[in-house]
Amino acid sequence: MSYEKLAPLLDTDIWRFLLGGLVVTVQVAILSIVISLVLGTVLAVCRLSPVRLLSWPARLYVEALRSLPPFLILVYVFFGTHRLGFELPTLIAVVLGLAAYHSAKAAEVVRAGILSIEKGQVEAARSLGLSNLETMFSVVFPQAFQRLLPPLVSELILIVKGTSIGSVLGLNELLKRAIITYQLYFNPLEMLFAVGIIYWTICFSLSRLGRRLETGGVQRAERRAAIAQQTMAGATAE
Amino acid sequence: MLPTAVIEQLPLMVEGFFLTIRLAIAAGVVSLVLGVSVALLRVMPVRPLQAVGVAYVELFRNTPQLILLFFFYFGLPQAGVSLDGYVCGLLGLSMYAAAFVAEAVRAGIQAVARGQVDASRSLGLGYVATMRHIVLPQALVMVLPPLGNTFISLVKGTALVTTIGVADLMHSAELVESRTFATFPTFTLAALFYLVLIVPLAAGVSTLERQRARSR
Repeated sequence: MSYEKLAPLLDTDIWRFLLGGLVVTVQVAILSIVISLVLGTVLAVCRLSPVRLLSWPARLYVEALRSLPPFLILVYVFFGTHRLGFELPTLIAVVLGLAAYHSAKAAEVVRAGILSIEKGQVEAARSLGLSNLETMFSVVFPQAFQRLLPPLVSELILIVKGTSIGSVLGLNELLKRAIITYQLYFNPLEMLFAVGIIYWTICFSLSRLGRRLETGGVQRAERRAAIAQQTMAGATAE
Repeated sequence: MLPTAVIEQLPLMVEGFFLTIRLAIAAGVVSLVLGVSVALLRVMPVRPLQAVGVAYVELFRNTPQLILLFFFYFGLPQAGVSLDGYVCGLLGLSMYAAAFVAEAVRAGIQAVARGQVDASRSLGLGYVATMRHIVLPQALVMVLPPLGNTFISLVKGTALVTTIGVADLMHSAELVESRTFATFPTFTLAALFYLVLIVPLAAGVSTLERQRARSR
């Protein structure tokens, strides 16, 4: 490592340039996780529906899309939309590609969450006169959501890492800007290391958050169980 | 149906397909060896070694694969180490996957009943022999499903080596697309090739998971 190679890293303009890329990366990640969550939930509900016309297409989508490389899906969406004549901005194409892949994975997570809710809860809600959809929205989802948070944070980490693929399609995000910089200063080692640390910091913090949610959830569940036990003990004592 | 122009390019796609398979198997083996080594570091009763294991996992799990690939392929030559694209791909993919393998294997090692280790040690086996003959075989069988999932992710990740000039399936697809302009047929064909590879693996893993769930 020589001074000329490190000098760009001491330049605030370079950092401003990189941070602009970070903003794009964060935008793409947030848009992708939101769409994946919404679409994933719809897919999960469809897949669990007793109506074949809903469950089969949802199943096909989930099984196919989660078995493909995200890179291929991104390229497919990017070149495919261009081919069809939609000149989508690269950012939108990357978001759609990432969402197409991660919604399939989110659907599996949400489905597992819904199935983890005891059947008795659904039966109770139904017998109280709630419709299927009402049961989903006011009984199943609120409970499932808490259990879903840790795996969804893992998915978000994968999305953040996945946004870097956008650089290959020409999206002006963090990695792309690092590449532009090192092609100018011939210092790929330093630049890749620097942006690597940025990605790492985001993903590591998220993984810590995920772990805290996990243990927090367990503690809450234990507390609830303890309260339930006390109430039951009180009830029998009476 | 496929346009004839794409059919003419089929041998190129098949060639890429085989390279993807070879790369996936090689990276799978390397990541397994590396991952088990890191897992062993993490459970060793020596603090500094545990720290090395933790550092490895946290470092590689939270870095995008593409950064690792670029670092090896574009970064290292600056330090005088020029590696072939295939080798860089192999290194990047397996070092990334090894972090996940290590996490899975560590969980497996810790799930092996403590009494097994005690019994083995009291029979006179040393630490290494106990690990090798008693703990690891059981741990690996236990964590077969997560290992399978890691391998599936690895196979999907191989598509990224296209970016460092390796002629894998994705690379052939992009080449054929640029030659024929048949965007949808070409990429759909590539997708089918990947599905042929990944769907059986995924089915295997879910069968394993279901068996485990039932036996529990």
